[in-house]
Amino acid sequence: MTSHVSKVVSLRSEAPSAPTFQAAETENAERKVDWVSLLVIAPAILILLGFLALFFYGVYQSLTDMRLGRPVVRFVGFANYIALMKTSDFWNSVRVTVVYALSTVFIEALIGLAIAKLFATGVTLARWLRPFILLPLVLPPMSVALMWTTMMNPQSGILNYFFSLVGMGPFSWISSPTTALISIILIDVWTYTPFFALIIFAGLQGITDDLREAARINGARSWATFINIELPLVAPYILIAAVFRLIESFNQFDIIFGTTQGGPGNSTSALSVQAYISAFQNLTFGRGAAMMVVNWLIVLIGATLMVRAWQAVRRRVN
Amino acid sequence: MDFTRKPITTLVLNVLVAICALVLAFPLLWIVMMSLKDQNEVMAWPPTFLFTPTLENFRVLFDVAQAGATSYGTIKVDFLTPIINSVVVSLGSVVVSLIVGVPAGYVLARREVPFKEDIAFFILGFRFAPVLLVVIPLFNLFQSMGLYDTYFGMIWVYQVITLPMIVWLSRSYVEDIPKDIEEAAAIDGAKPVRVVFHIVLPLLKPGLIGASLLVFLLAWHNFALGLMLSSTKAPVTVALLKLLNPGVQFYPVMAAGLVVTMIVPVILIVFGQRHLERGLTFGAVK
Repeated sequence: MTSHVSKVVSLRSEAPSAPTFQAAETENAERKVDWVSLLVIAPAILILLGFLALFFYGVYQSLTDMRLGRPVVRFVGFANYIALMKTSDFWNSVRVTVVYALSTVFIEALIGLAIAKLFATGVTLARWLRPFILLPLVLPPMSVALMWTTMMNPQSGILNYFFSLVGMGPFSWISSPTTALISIILIDVWTYTPFFALIIFAGLQGITDDLREAARINGARSWATFINIELPLVAPYILIAAVFRLIESFNQFDIIFGTTQGGPGNSTSALSVQAYISAFQNLTFGRGAAMMVVNWLIVLIGATLMVRAWQAVRRRVN
Repeated sequence: MDFTRKPITTLVLNVLVAICALVLAFPLLWIVMMSLKDQNEVMAWPPTFLFTPTLENFRVLFDVAQAGATSYGTIKVDFLTPIINSVVVSLGSVVVSLIVGVPAGYVLARREVPFKEDIAFFILGFRFAPVLLVVIPLFNLFQSMGLYDTYFGMIWVYQVITLPMIVWLSRSYVEDIPKDIEEAAAIDGAKPVRVVFHIVLPLLKPGLIGASLLVFLLAWHNFALGLMLSSTKAPVTVALLKLLNPGVQFYPVMAAGLVVTMIVPVILIVFGQRHLERGLTFGAVK
């Protein structure tokens, strides 16, 4: 059992809190090992380690020429990656993935902050209507995608009707390569802005009224109070929410697949959607796995940078 | 807040909140209206807000025997099987996760285990698992093990989503229970097992119900796993996408399908708003 447990640690040796291996071993010997407890957590850890093993198997598959129905699978090294990098489609997918993730997170953080501030004012309607914030988050992303597909229909969609009332449009939304990416970003913003709003709202609740009162008595205007006192205090909340959303946006599959399936052309073919098409429609599993590994590396880089920013901000606030 | 606002400011704030709520709720209202219209009304321009509601779309969705003959021409949908699939797989996943995950969550909160923090972090990391990279190798494995398109296989795979969530949530709920209660019982001579079953579990019950609601919801949401690892046992989210046949736009029937998939989550908000808020932001806010 301990061997499984220690494997977990060796996988993430970069963790700041991880004790060094040697020290942990001796510590173990000294303390009486609680076998019952280990036995109790073993099933959960074994199941999850199984998935971890599959992940590594997936990484291995990206180094093979695996296709469905091919009897012999050969190890081809980085051939899949090199072949991918030579195509402009691949770089387009990388661009779409990064643009999608960064713009959704940025817009959602801004609007989420505004909504959180609005609901934190505690006016009557804000208290009554707060459950509405949860609404987009509890719907299946696939349902959200299809819901917006009908509303964005260029001929009969309600969105074009609303825009026509103010003399704008008609827009082709997800049906045109020029507007498809913006349209799905819009859908993502509607769906996940509440996530930021909820977390920032929790952060604002943590700031005591005394602090605001003190600032007000010292003559600070409400805008100045917000910029100088509230914003720095909720900044760690905004950033941790951004870490979560950034990772999920990089991996976003349901919303893109449900609306455009990567099209029209390749205007919305994010890496995850393109990987699905390579693996399950073109049946080139090795190629698909390679794309997902690239996607995962982008997630890793993005998440690491965000976590750094979060740690820096939190240190400054403390 | 204590300090007073001008009445005009309060009014403006209330109006802004109302607009916000409208933007969040309108798409759902619109879909509900659409599901009660017929095909001509849905395709009409300008869109109609007043119409005679019909339940025809829901009949097409569930009436397997009559499905061929609709006013839309031939359309064959069987929406009942996917719903049953989704319910079986989601409930099964929640039950398995509770059995495996809650004890683990308790141990991670209360007992001394080597590398406890690392294990907790490892489990949290699964929230960010690149699901597709796990599924691609799993597809071949499932085919050769005979697990492709089975409830057993699906429930097992769903653990990648539900199990980390249950472990993490039950750990945080256990941490909320004052340690003194358990210590007092232990001093009175109660055995650890008795303490867990007679003191901790009853206190944990509301939290666990909330966690189960949330995890059921996550399983209900899932699309990618069902798309790639099942065909006849496909969940309701996959069946939805099939209603949107390219070329033939049966929007009203699809709208009816959307309403069905959305009813469940909306009911869950009514019952467990507080728990859902905590669960949805889990890991980011304690």
